[in-house]
Amino acid sequence: MAQPFVKKDDDRDDEAEYSPFMGIEKGAVLQEARVFNDPQLDARRCSQVITKLLYLLNQGETFTKTEATEVFFAVTKLFQSRDTGLRRMVYLMIKEISTSADEVIIVTSSLMKDMNSRTDMYRANAIRVLCQITDGTLLTQIERYLKQAIVDKNPVVASAALVSGIHLLQTNPEIVKRWSNEVQEAVQSRAALVQFHALALLHQIRQNDRLAVSKLVTSMTKGSVRSPLAQCLLIRYTNQVIRESGVNTQSGDRPFYDYIEGCLRHKAEMVIFEAARAITEFSNVTARELTPAITVLQLFLSSSKPVLRFAAVRTLNKVAMTHPMAVTNCNIDMESLISDQNRSIATLAITTLLKTGNESSVDRLMKQITNFMSDIADEFKIVVVEAIRSLCLKFPLKYRSLMNFLSNILREEGGFEYKKAIVDAIVILIRDIPDAKESGLLHLCEFIEDCEFTYLSTQILHFLGNEGPKTSDPSKYIRYIYNRVILENATVRASAVSTLAKFGAMVESLKPRIFILLRRCLFDNDDEVRDRATLYFITLGGDGPVVETDESVKDFLFGSLDIPLANLETGLKNYIQDPSEEPFDVNSVPKEVKSQPLAEKKAPGRKPTGLGTLPAGPTSAADAYERLLSSIPEFASFGKLFKSSVLELTEEETEYAVNVVKHIFDQHVVFQYNCTNTIPEQLLENVTVIVDASEAEEFSEVASKPLRSLPYDTPGQIFVAFEKPQGVPTVGKFSNMLRFTVKEVDTSTGEPEDDGVEDEYRLEDFEVVAADYMLKVGVSNFRNAWESMGPDCERIDEYGLGSRESLTEAVNAVIELLGMQPCEGTEVVPSNSRSHTCLLSGVYIGNVKVLVRLSLGIDGAKEVAMKLAVRSEDENVS
Amino acid sequence: MLLAVLIANSEGNILVERFNGVPAEERLHWRSFLVKLGADNLKGVKNEELLVASHKSVYIVYTVLGDVSTFVVGKDEYDELALAEAIFVITSALKDVCGKPPTERLFLDKYGKICLCLDEIVWKGLLENTDKERIKRLVRLKPPTEF
Repeated sequence: MAQPFVKKDDDRDDEAEYSPFMGIEKGAVLQEARVFNDPQLDARRCSQVITKLLYLLNQGETFTKTEATEVFFAVTKLFQSRDTGLRRMVYLMIKEISTSADEVIIVTSSLMKDMNSRTDMYRANAIRVLCQITDGTLLTQIERYLKQAIVDKNPVVASAALVSGIHLLQTNPEIVKRWSNEVQEAVQSRAALVQFHALALLHQIRQNDRLAVSKLVTSMTKGSVRSPLAQCLLIRYTNQVIRESGVNTQSGDRPFYDYIEGCLRHKAEMVIFEAARAITEFSNVTARELTPAITVLQLFLSSSKPVLRFAAVRTLNKVAMTHPMAVTNCNIDMESLISDQNRSIATLAITTLLKTGNESSVDRLMKQITNFMSDIADEFKIVVVEAIRSLCLKFPLKYRSLMNFLSNILREEGGFEYKKAIVDAIVILIRDIPDAKESGLLHLCEFIEDCEFTYLSTQILHFLGNEGPKTSDPSKYIRYIYNRVILENATVRASAVSTLAKFGAMVESLKPRIFILLRRCLFDNDDEVRDRATLYFITLGGDGPVVETDESVKDFLFGSLDIPLANLETGLKNYIQDPSEEPFDVNSVPKEVKSQPLAEKKAPGRKPTGLGTLPAGPTSAADAYERLLSSIPEFASFGKLFKSSVLELTEEETEYAVNVVKHIFDQHVVFQYNCTNTIPEQLLENVTVIVDASEAEEFSEVASKPLRSLPYDTPGQIFVAFEKPQGVPTVGKFSNMLRFTVKEVDTSTGEPEDDGVEDEYRLEDFEVVAADYMLKVGVSNFRNAWESMGPDCERIDEYGLGSRESLTEAVNAVIELLGMQPCEGTEVVPSNSRSHTCLLSGVYIGNVKVLVRLSLGIDGAKEVAMKLAVRSEDENVS
Repeated sequence: MLLAVLIANSEGNILVERFNGVPAEERLHWRSFLVKLGADNLKGVKNEELLVASHKSVYIVYTVLGDVSTFVVGKDEYDELALAEAIFVITSALKDVCGKPPTERLFLDKYGKICLCLDEIVWKGLLENTDKERIKRLVRLKPPTEF
């Protein structure tokens, strides 16, 4: 609702103390609006009343249907007045209050008259009003006038018609598209704004016709563009044409580049920016193309106008994501922006610097950021924390100063989202940088000593329970955990009890002390805490002599629930509906996953981040697969799952969508075919995949698990398992055929027919390749790891990779082929460099660490040569 | 699309509020967001000095003129630079109508004129007129001079 008008301070001069709208009230204004009906119209008074109505509307006041209708009818009477000032107000008022179509009809005749008036300005305004209140039928009646108006020699009339066209295109596209010729003529207008509006409309009319847009751009870039606004539009459209046409492969030139580059020297800043931004958005932009754009953006970084600084740093920030090296020249200017008054600018500057900075500048940068953090809002801080997280993963050696920074800001004031971002960042660093583990855990411990967020405390306790026992001195964490039992609310206390139990289970030496602590929790005043304490106390054997914890107890404590939650829920619901004397038996819940979440298919290889992906539940894909496979008796004996990777076997939008997950075990591979039936009229039964492994000689099929039924839109899985020689990276090609019985389904009842027809559906072939036997595992310090492996089991070889588009492409191809993790950001090839070294690491099947040093060079003919140096723990693997 | 034009007094009370393509339930949120943005940043800012912010993919350019602060919000083609152009037109029209950087009283006295000017500058989320001399004539239903 509208905020009340507040009177100004007393120290203003007298006139300011009284507002023309003081005490304004809707009812009273509506009463006043009756003057519109006077036979002798007082134009001045009527204008005043309209102003009051506008004031109410602009304050967010709403009129009821009756009120609006009443005012609307009254306002239409004002067309009788010849006062131009009042007429202008009337046009505005009708636009503001126009009601339903059946009422609008009353003004259309007046407006149509104005639209043909000899007074130009009546025409322009009548067009705008008519187009706002009109519907399709009326539009066909007035179309002729509108077409004339577009080419009217008065620019205001032409603009009014053109802008109306832009709006009408949304509702009546087929009519507006007929105006093409007139709009085309208007594009040539000498009036700057007419050209601008015409260009926008013409492009919208033709936007789906690539050839027409290309023609438009070609002719406009050669002709004269009369306003910076139109020029900006043209640059945007040109960029679109460039995107669609690609680089001329023969000459290597980009069409229209000269035009856009020329715009960098335009006198209007708006145009310069648009051109610079267009260049930075080119796909596969070269350094030569990028340089002039970066240069102008750099100049704007030190502009006195905040808008220009913001625009420049925002664009450079985007460039830094893909071409960090190109932006490094601007680092000095960017650093001075860290202290910019405008926080949006400062944050963008910092995050850009974090992307472009090198290892040596990290410490200096962190110092500057520390001062900056204290006076920005949480939303900006989160952006900075996220940037620091990725920086730390890029330069793992710098984890110490970055971890310190994170722990310092963790201690300061901040809201939940901000604290969560910091905790997530620390957790990821602990997970990815082994050296950072102990200090990271201690920082988290200190944080929960004074943490107001229950959610974060419980998540940290859970994480601590999993990671803490594996550290060199687990006992130091106990104090922090037990403090939670003494000081916190029940939810946190319960988590703390679970964490204590995990320490007890994993660290034998701590067990007696853990028992003492758990015993104290047995009398907690909260049920859940008490129950957990009792449960753990007994399962760990606290009531007898201290003995080593049984594996099954550890599984119970650390393992996740291997039953799909949906199944458990259904099971429990059934149990409640049908009460019995027997206690609920969790083993009676089926473990088979009924349907697979579609999200997994849409986002294969989704990288887990933050606390949410701790092994707390069915979160990470690998965990979910492992659980799924071990729940199937045929595959339970295959041992530990080494790697899973997803491949699509059908095109998008085919009748049956199928992808395969290759699960690699030491002696076996299991293909999991995820199938979705996308035809509502069909039910598939007895669905199997017939796998032809004639081009994969060393594999022999050992098991197949068909799917009994595959209804519409409910994904199902088929499994086929193969045996292969142990520990050997056996490769081969598999062709696949989906075989099933189709039954027609009556979509109105959902009932399938009784008889079905056997059918087959060919799926694409796929291969098991060497990369399937390699896990992407990063190392925190490549050089240390490399040195420590020693040259004894090193193999070096040289390869020619043939002609490649660029080094980046070659590097990506090799990484893809080897399936290894690039380290220290070396997968990014600086643009235009002729040689590059990329560091890769991974774990080979059989848990063998492998490191690779990849040196590539490219010559003038784009021939790429590669030298590959491998070190691993096992000479055979190298 | 130019999503919103909002003019408030120095205490953050709304004087003019025009939204385009913003659902009714989000307007209140935008209003309080903008008013807070102004309260946090506009103190001590010189007349017509432009400030800029972004919120997700939406840009905001805002400034102060006399007793009133003006905010324009846009997305897509109405990025910070296009908005700067729009707000420049709005402030020059305001100065023109009021004769000087307006006090709140002066602004309210000229309220009707100001509404007409805004109507000429932004129509349903599109920038329509950019020249203050022309706008001055258009609100009086006079044809532009260059014609």
